[in-house]
Amino acid sequence: MSRRLSWAGLLPALTGGIMVLVLHWLVFFYVPTEAAQGLIQRIFYIHVPAAWVAFMAFGIVALCSAVYLWLGDERLDMAAVSAAEGGMIFTTIVLLTGPLWGRVAWGTWWTWEPRLTFTLLLWFIYLGYFMVRSATESPERGRRFAAVLGIVGAVDIPLIHLSVVWFRSLHPQPVVLKPEGPTLPPEMLLTLMLGFVSFTLLFFGMTHFRYGLERTRIEAAGRESRDGGIEP
Amino acid sequence: MNYLRQLRAVLWKDLVVELRTRERTISMAGFTVLVAFLFNHALDPARVDVQDVAAGLLWMTIVFAGTLGIGRTFQLESEDGAFHGVLMSPTPKDAIYLGKVGANFVILLLVTLLALAVFGLFFHLQYGERPLVLLLVMALGILGFVAFATLFSAISSGTVMGDTLLPILLFPLLVPMVIYGVSATDRLLAGRPVAEIAGHLRMLAAFALVAVFSGAGLFRFVVEE
Repeated sequence: MSRRLSWAGLLPALTGGIMVLVLHWLVFFYVPTEAAQGLIQRIFYIHVPAAWVAFMAFGIVALCSAVYLWLGDERLDMAAVSAAEGGMIFTTIVLLTGPLWGRVAWGTWWTWEPRLTFTLLLWFIYLGYFMVRSATESPERGRRFAAVLGIVGAVDIPLIHLSVVWFRSLHPQPVVLKPEGPTLPPEMLLTLMLGFVSFTLLFFGMTHFRYGLERTRIEAAGRESRDGGIEP
Repeated sequence: MNYLRQLRAVLWKDLVVELRTRERTISMAGFTVLVAFLFNHALDPARVDVQDVAAGLLWMTIVFAGTLGIGRTFQLESEDGAFHGVLMSPTPKDAIYLGKVGANFVILLLVTLLALAVFGLFFHLQYGERPLVLLLVMALGILGFVAFATLFSAISSGTVMGDTLLPILLFPLLVPMVIYGVSATDRLLAGRPVAEIAGHLRMLAAFALVAVFSGAGLFRFVVEE
């Protein structure tokens, strides 16, 4: 039991969790209200870091899937599925905070804006990833299918992105990553950076726990088949 | 050379099987005509100018008909373990995949021609002076579609959910094809010059390339036992 609750998972999860609480305090009490959009802009500090984690998670899924197919090491698949679950949670956060912000800023819950469209598709690719895993009789086959799906998704994503960007973008232009350096006021930049760091830490902590759970599951399944399905 | 011969053997085998059973072609063709018929009655001609939405309807019909037919690529061979025989043969897995993509492409191209004819008839479409460019747009689009659909059909037929899983896996990845295919078709139907769709053709070609290469590279992981 103690092996599962290792510091490698607990530390980032706890730090990330505490930092997320601090982040919310900053968002509500510290950061100045943005002049053009008003209060609603504060959702930005949750929305953008969540989107970052969602995309990063998909990169991890694709990478682990590719190496899993190559080397066949089960641990890589366990890492992929753990990252995918975290990625799906954060993609859901993006999809929930986006419309809330959009309702006030753009006057509509949903619009076919490229990044919105793209995030919704990402969510569905994650969904397919999990459905394929749960719909196979042999877990090994499910792992292979899911890995193929993760890679195909990653290969097609640049094209999907290009295609949806073809529609005119309603999203604000980049404010942090641009050649002349960030133009955000320091308080906003600090809050945003804390958002990135805390969400990333939280993601890795959660992924680590999920990884431990997956390992326990596989061990339990192995034990069950060894003992002929009789509980010890 | 040997590789191409093996590829052609798989392609030809699938086409001959289809020619003899006509199972998938007939269901896709019937679907196409009936959907065009239903679309015609679903739209109020007094409020919607059908010519304006025809390109989108045409592509969606092909996507749905294709999902219906391509989803059954491995159906016949899964009976009596026939596909195991194919896999046991010394043919490289990617040659099997490309052969199946080729056969599916030919079948879906025929369905597309039928769809063009039926939509032209029902919706009074003018295919303009350059029907071959339109055909090139359709061919590039369905090549990418068929490549993804064949790969995912192998996946979904290996699950307990079967064909019902296919759209969920396939549709999110089709966005480039639908956006550029519909837009290019729309412009050609409106009589715009071909130069205007050069970028569309490039994107459709990129989509087809990505689909064919990722499918050829990954197919062996789907079918290995």
